[in-house]
Amino acid sequence: MSILEVSQVNKNFGGLAALHNVNFSVDEGSIHSLIGPNGAGKSTLLNVLVGLLKPDGGSVEFDGKSLLGKTPHDINQLGVARVFQTPQVFPDLTLLENIAISGYADRDGGFKFNLFETADTAKPVINNAKRVLEEVGLIEQQKAEARHLSRGDKRRLELGICLAHEPRLLLLDEPTAGMARHETETTIDLLRNISAKTKMTMVIVEHDMSVVFALSETISVLAQGRIIAEGKPEDVKGDPKVKEAYLGEEQE
Amino acid sequence: MSSSDIKAAYDPSASGRRVGSDFKRKDLTTLAVFALITFTMPLWFPLIGGYSGLDTKILIWAIFAVGFDLLLGYTGYLSFGHAAFFGISAYITGLMLLHVSDNIIPAMIASLIVTLIMALIIGLLTLKRTGIYFSILTLAFGEMFHSLAVSTLQDWTGGDNGLTGVPTPMLFGLKMQNLTMFYFVAVLAIIMFYIARRIGRSPFGLMMKAIKSNQTRLEYTGINVLRYKLSAFVISAIYAGLAGSLMVIYEPYVASEFLSWQESGRVVIMTVMGGVGTLVGPMFGAFFMLYFENVVSVLLQEQWLLVLGLMFMAIVIFLPGGFADGAKRLWNRVSRQGDN
Amino acid sequence: MNQIFLQVLTGLQLGAIFVLIALGLTLIFGTLGVVNFAHGALFMLGAYIAVILAGKLGFVTAILVVPLALFAIGLLMERGLVKHFYDRPHTDQILVTFGLAIVVQEALKWYFGANNIPFAEPAWGTGQTIFYGTGVTVPDPIPGLRIYMPFIEGFVFYPKWRLILILVSMSTVAGLFVLLQFTRFGLVVRAGMRDSEMLRFLGINISKRFAVVFGLGSAIAGIAGVFGGPVTQVDPAVGMSMLVPSFLVVVIGGMGSLPGAVLASIMIGMAMAFSVNVAWLSQIVVYLVAVAVLLIRPRGLLGQKGLME
Ligand SMILES: Nc1ncnc2c1ncn2[C@@H]1O[C@H](COP(=O)(O)OP(=O)(O)OP(=O)(O)O)[C@@H](O)[C@H]1O
Ligand SMILES: [Mg+2]
Repeated sequence: MSILEVSQVNKNFGGLAALHNVNFSVDEGSIHSLIGPNGAGKSTLLNVLVGLLKPDGGSVEFDGKSLLGKTPHDINQLGVARVFQTPQVFPDLTLLENIAISGYADRDGGFKFNLFETADTAKPVINNAKRVLEEVGLIEQQKAEARHLSRGDKRRLELGICLAHEPRLLLLDEPTAGMARHETETTIDLLRNISAKTKMTMVIVEHDMSVVFALSETISVLAQGRIIAEGKPEDVKGDPKVKEAYLGEEQE
Repeated sequence: MSSSDIKAAYDPSASGRRVGSDFKRKDLTTLAVFALITFTMPLWFPLIGGYSGLDTKILIWAIFAVGFDLLLGYTGYLSFGHAAFFGISAYITGLMLLHVSDNIIPAMIASLIVTLIMALIIGLLTLKRTGIYFSILTLAFGEMFHSLAVSTLQDWTGGDNGLTGVPTPMLFGLKMQNLTMFYFVAVLAIIMFYIARRIGRSPFGLMMKAIKSNQTRLEYTGINVLRYKLSAFVISAIYAGLAGSLMVIYEPYVASEFLSWQESGRVVIMTVMGGVGTLVGPMFGAFFMLYFENVVSVLLQEQWLLVLGLMFMAIVIFLPGGFADGAKRLWNRVSRQGDN
Repeated sequence: MNQIFLQVLTGLQLGAIFVLIALGLTLIFGTLGVVNFAHGALFMLGAYIAVILAGKLGFVTAILVVPLALFAIGLLMERGLVKHFYDRPHTDQILVTFGLAIVVQEALKWYFGANNIPFAEPAWGTGQTIFYGTGVTVPDPIPGLRIYMPFIEGFVFYPKWRLILILVSMSTVAGLFVLLQFTRFGLVVRAGMRDSEMLRFLGINISKRFAVVFGLGSAIAGIAGVFGGPVTQVDPAVGMSMLVPSFLVVVIGGMGSLPGAVLASIMIGMAMAFSVNVAWLSQIVVYLVAVAVLLIRPRGLLGQKGLME
């Protein structure tokens, strides 16, 4: 059963075809990696999925519903969350508040005006936020402001923000970039655990092949805006077209 | 991370947040202190050179400033056109008192409704893009209403001379003057302060702070950012509108300057000098500015605004947290010395 | 026809001042990302310095000195104040320049008083220009420069100084475009307007050049001060009253777009000129144009997509 169905999506920037007739389908509950050389269009594809960019053509369906024309927050409320390539957190707020925001978004939807509750003490939301912080390993710093975190920690916090919303599809744009080796391994374990426990579907964009091969059930290879290969990790590894795409880049 | 690292990472000056059940009591204590200071103002204010009536005016501006802080301090949007709401509401109040009834209730209600509608329209036109854009456009809209009042609509507004001949405002047979007016405003100021505090600490307030911190993340966390921004803008406009309406009840005359950029600038200066995002700070800022303008200015004569401008710049440059931050730093230093 | 012709000239003349102020605003915003609320104050300083110099040393001296003086003031302002705000939130930049605008305004008021200082154009710039149509002879005793315009019926007068203002403004715009288009400095500035991150990344020292950009922007405001001063007022309120329409020019044109600023100032000038006889409209037409443009094209006439969104 596929939960995400992208078909014939095109996106041009001026003359550049960043995405060209891209077909991409993700099975529910699976971990699906999207790889490709720099500038291949991976982030662009994620941008189309979350409503940041409007494709020039094609369709994007999540759980049978079209995502095209929907606002980013509506798409998120449908259950699609994203970790950005450059970590996006709320630097001026505490870690607990960072996560609580997502908790409120989950509980109250896109908008709610309510004066009679105190943000810091609303029990279920705060407790859940603490649980999530525990999960991503940041609970000890819960009262620190996010600005003080290292890049790797920010990324984990952002992951936590996404998780607090319990998304059905989690898009991760280079989740381990800027992390030390042991942090990367913790993150791999974390993602694997979440996937095993919640059956959350994940799409991971990654340059670090050790992460890709450790996690993915399926890999799609994007090069110059086209999907050039797709399949199980072993198959993709041996595919000559994939080698060419990467080597071609190195020769430049 | 060791526990000392964590302490270092936790910036105490930015705290003020409390988790726990002592919150309600603390909230009420603050309110009680604020109420006490406010209600006793007619007693202590003359002692420091204030004249009667100025206290009422200070509280009116404090309402304006605390509402402005909800927008600037929480969402980070800097409006240079809040005089529009202050002034429009003032004109509606004046016109209602003049042409409909000298009872203030219908006048105030009508003013607030018009303010709300105006805020929705202006907000939709200005809030979709970045904060810079917003600052410029609100300034322009403010000036538009000023121009409207002094030219296009001058048959209604009295043009440059302002709206005169407004009868003494009444509240069901009670003349809204002197102490009656003062206590009326004081009660409203306390209520509005309390509401602002509630907003600030509610999940709604958290979303507003998140807007200031990172709008992109917020939008991709499932929050309808525009609606929050618009609501915050409308709420702060209502505060401005209430202040404008009260100003006309306090002094039954509408000056066309109520709509000018200087008026918008005043509330900006008060809020920033008092301490953005602290709610109490801007109210103190209002007190400081009006006290400065009316009492201290005797020493400085015409140059008080120049001195104020220099002080304002100095605060923006060296103490962006305003008086509130300065007081906090001072307090920290004093209490640290006490520990030793 | 004659009426329309005169209104077009008036529109151009109004636009001529707006564009000189707006160019600096949009240049500084495009490269440095700073919205300078004190830009109107810079224009006002230009006008004040001009009026004093013109009285003491003659108008030509003023024309030569004021842009240079404003260049220096701009440089000073950037190095001494604005520079320290690049890393601070935009609101702080706006607040500090707003504070500076107030300080300049109040200082001028203190020193020169609140009233308008009369600023006469120089002898060589006074008098009228006479536009005349086909087959018309302007009677000899009427003094003034004569210009033939085929579509004029009879002849019409237009103040010579305002014509000069239009020409100066047009030359300044042309000069700026040449500077940006054909010099290395211009190349860097244009690149900076597109993507200043990238320049920093490439290790090109933009910081010093940006100081020059700031100086350039305020020098252009100085030109507006000397040539525009005799047409507008010279009083402490003029800075803010010119800032607002100039901001609108920048927004209508598209923030950071120089051609957009030129286009928008002509548009606003024309709108003001052609509505001058409609009392209810003339004072607010600028805002109505701005609202209309924003509704139809939120990023401004020539605004780049993505920028400021
Ligand atoms: N907003 C934009 N405007 C113009 N061009 C863009 C835009 N976004 C991306 N591009 C271009 O589209 C192409 C694909 O970019 P994209 O960011 O999707 O690549 P990527 O696969 O994520 O690369 P990386 O691995 O470096 O993150 C690149 O050539 C990029 O320069
Ligand atoms: Mg990418």
